[in-house]
Amino acid sequence: MSERPTAQELTEAIAEFLGGEILPTLDDHRLRFRTLVAMNALGIVHRELAALPPEDDAVRSELARRIRAGDVDPGMLAQVKADVEARLRIASPRYLERYE
Amino acid sequence: MTTVAIWSDDRTEMREALEALLGPTTDPVLLAGGASKEAWSVDAGGERLLVRRAAGGVIHRHTLSLKDEFDVLSAAYEAGVKVPRPIMYVEDLDQREAFVMERLAGETIGRRIVRMDVPAHLPTQMAEELAKIHAIPPERLPFLQEARLERMVDELDDVGTPHPAIELGLWWLRENRPPHRPSVVNHGDYRIGNLVVNEGGLVGILDWEFAHLDDPGRDLGFGLVRAWRFGVDDKRLGGIGDVDGYLERYNELTGFDIRPEELDYWELAGNVGWAIGCLTQAERHLRGQDRSVELAILGRLGAEVEYEICHLLEKIAA
Repeated sequence: MSERPTAQELTEAIAEFLGGEILPTLDDHRLRFRTLVAMNALGIVHRELAALPPEDDAVRSELARRIRAGDVDPGMLAQVKADVEARLRIASPRYLERYE
Repeated sequence: MTTVAIWSDDRTEMREALEALLGPTTDPVLLAGGASKEAWSVDAGGERLLVRRAAGGVIHRHTLSLKDEFDVLSAAYEAGVKVPRPIMYVEDLDQREAFVMERLAGETIGRRIVRMDVPAHLPTQMAEELAKIHAIPPERLPFLQEARLERMVDELDDVGTPHPAIELGLWWLRENRPPHRPSVVNHGDYRIGNLVVNEGGLVGILDWEFAHLDDPGRDLGFGLVRAWRFGVDDKRLGGIGDVDGYLERYNELTGFDIRPEELDYWELAGNVGWAIGCLTQAERHLRGQDRSVELAILGRLGAEVEYEICHLLEKIAA
């Protein structure tokens, strides 16, 4: 597993933020109620993610190991960049526009 | 409303502790508080003050203690570097270590600074202050550690997840080391975001907790890292200016004669360092040392920095 926090770990962080920092500041009953509902929904996502198979990062691990050992070939940069780009399309797609 | 109640209790105790040291004060205001450090704003004796205080959590690895940070700040102040005037180190301020310094007026938020009307001489001012920092005799700060490339590798190994782009950056840095230069006192985080700036230019340099001994190029190149351009990517120096005048002024003052290619090397090194920094910050959350969405998301946003590493390597190869 190489993407940390995992999607599941991110839902935990959001749930902690909503429960620990936002909820205690809410006086409006409707907002409190809807925040609790949103936290329940997040719990569903969290449990559903738990049922998915873990990310397979064997290729990434092997690549990292080879580079560390100094076994670098000219085609590697393009392969590595494509992998980072795929991760960015999830984590921060708009960032890629800065290179257009 | 529990959070607010806790804060006002803290504030009363903080005010009592500060008044015992400084005489009558205004109500201290908590500006920032993480698990490891707090910053309080307070006025006393007609002076604007800032109090940096430990927050009781686990301190980052390779971060100076508040006592050592105060010493570095004092050494910089003695060397004539633009910094907040150091006032006192306090071993026990309401049960935690702290120090008091002057609170400078000006902008520190990077994304605001790059949109401000800053004077054209800001890059040369940055070079001038850096030259003064790099002239501080290392003997003045005997506790500072050497931090070369190897320390970055250790930090990456501590995180433990595979990152081929960072590995490729580290590999290139190992294979293409510039000529060795004697280590100088490095600020360690010299970039827009840690500088106080106003319409007149550079007011002061903050956040000395990452100070260490290293090649002068390390500090000189760190401000070029794309993440510290805050979206104004065509201005290579921190989104505020060009590199030519900055490098020229620095060389003029230090006599180091750092070449533009060396600066490229250290720009890449800065990106590799910050890519690893993103991962170690996320680890603080994942290991429960400092639970925070802000730290957590850095683990994913580090991919932006990894992309920049690939981009720089492509440019070098071209």
